Amino acid sequence: MAEINDKILKHLAELARIEIDPKNEARFLSDFKNILGHFEELANLDTSGVVPMTGGTSLKNITREDEFNEIKDQGKGVESFPESKDGYLKVPPVFE
Amino acid sequence: MNREIYMNIKGLTIKKIHHDLTKKEYSSRELTEAFFNHIKKEDAKIGAFLDLSENMAMRQAEEVDKNISAGKGPGVLGGVPMAIKDNILIEGLRCTAASKILKDYKAAYNATVINKLRLAGAIFLGKTNMDEFAMGSSTENSAFQVTHNPHDLERVPGGSSGGSAAAVASEMAIAALGSDTGGSIRQPAALCGTVGLKPTYGAVSRYGVMAMASSLDQIGPFTKTVEDAALLLKELSGQDPMDSTSASFKFGADLLSPNIEDIKKLKVGIPEEYFVEGLDKNIAAKMNEVVKDFEKLGIKTKKISLPHTKYALSCYYIIMPAEVSANLSRFDGIRYGTREKADNLIDLYKKNRESGFGAESKRRILLGTFVLSSGYYDAYYAKAQKARALIRKDFDEAFKEVDVILTPVTPTPAFKIGEKSDDPLAMYLSDIFTIPVNLAGVPAVSIPVKNNSGLPIGFQLIGKHFREADILGIGQFYEKLYN
Repeated sequence: MAEINDKILKHLAELARIEIDPKNEARFLSDFKNILGHFEELANLDTSGVVPMTGGTSLKNITREDEFNEIKDQGKGVESFPESKDGYLKVPPVFE
Repeated sequence: MNREIYMNIKGLTIKKIHHDLTKKEYSSRELTEAFFNHIKKEDAKIGAFLDLSENMAMRQAEEVDKNISAGKGPGVLGGVPMAIKDNILIEGLRCTAASKILKDYKAAYNATVINKLRLAGAIFLGKTNMDEFAMGSSTENSAFQVTHNPHDLERVPGGSSGGSAAAVASEMAIAALGSDTGGSIRQPAALCGTVGLKPTYGAVSRYGVMAMASSLDQIGPFTKTVEDAALLLKELSGQDPMDSTSASFKFGADLLSPNIEDIKKLKVGIPEEYFVEGLDKNIAAKMNEVVKDFEKLGIKTKKISLPHTKYALSCYYIIMPAEVSANLSRFDGIRYGTREKADNLIDLYKKNRESGFGAESKRRILLGTFVLSSGYYDAYYAKAQKARALIRKDFDEAFKEVDVILTPVTPTPAFKIGEKSDDPLAMYLSDIFTIPVNLAGVPAVSIPVKNNSGLPIGFQLIGKHFREADILGIGQFYEKLYN
């Protein structure tokens, strides 16, 4: 199983859009090493031929009728959004 | 305020309130006021509530009183004062999941469970404290406050639904809602001495609960009696078009009115893997007393094996963070709460998430990102999904031999505040007996051991999928032994 180091940790933080305060970096690394160390027991488990369980239920998926549905109360969604203008959601620019 | 009602709050249950309101012994308004008076004194030392919703509650109580005066009766849950975990949306109320990132977020709609409870006449007293985004086993990960165990203020109430458990245990609510992803209802119920039910995955709609790990989360009740838990489950359950994993299953009459002759026919299995080193000696002894009580009821027990139990913790702490890392990506500073300014978009995400999330949330997001990332996916995430299939198969096999499984809920009673907060792995280990249930999707209830003088201890009854009637049926007859 994998070793974790500060380079991997920084890469993960970048992927997850999290900034790790340099003060806490050593702490995160040692916690991770402990936790990943515990996971090593899974390497001893024989899972050959096992079909993975990919969700919480074995019920079959169903789809609803594709019907037109008018949504009338988007106002509340707009109100709970951090910034809005004239009923539209306001977000920071994506392109410079 | 009528003094007599205040004095009587202690013995109240859902069933008793229904009886009293129907007989007009007091009004819903008087009862609701009595609860707020009690909360205002008691919660200063417990810290169970993040917000109280007094105006909303009084309006709801007046509606219930109006219906009673009009001869319509109080409704099944009419006038029942309830506390709601702060990751469940109530329209117009602040909903934070105990996270700084949502400290100013106001819910724009009701969760399905909230609509159902409202229709049945329940009163919402307020929102309860929890571990941030339901991640923790002690409620110490709340960004806002510490909740104390009502039985010993120096100890944790358990978590993540610690506020809900403490509210019911200290008579500040008749019942409460929590969410359970790996034990977050059953573990605090056991540590606080209340009943806590994790329904079958799919029995209760998850619409309007902030998703933590979607394949494991279920909403369920905290109550003082098993009978009340059955009453609440009946009201909460049902298929919901807004949650595609909710099932069309309907519970039968045996959920509310179990028959002792049917209960006697149930076989209870005791898995050897749950009675291992690290289990508190007193808890082990109490489990033997519970077995003797079951035998008094005429229920047969037998030893069974759930061979993959030891892999459950690793399996869970891979699958859950993987789902957490995806579900918490929506908290980016764009969609919810407040938005901190930054020079560019990526920095805006990072800035908001750095200041908004607590340490445990960050740890699980990073761990989830790790197990899903290229190069590690097969060794961790894919392996854990296969382990999960084996853990579920253990239950399927066991349930060919027995109808219900009896185990302890926790390895130890409530621990001291601060005792495990520096050691995430030690904290994770406090959930070893509750986690396999979520992985398999089966229902389980934590019931306080009677005839116990120290800190509360719970026993867990695990049932077949959608056979809540079996575990709650046994629980109801167990409680009757001590009435």
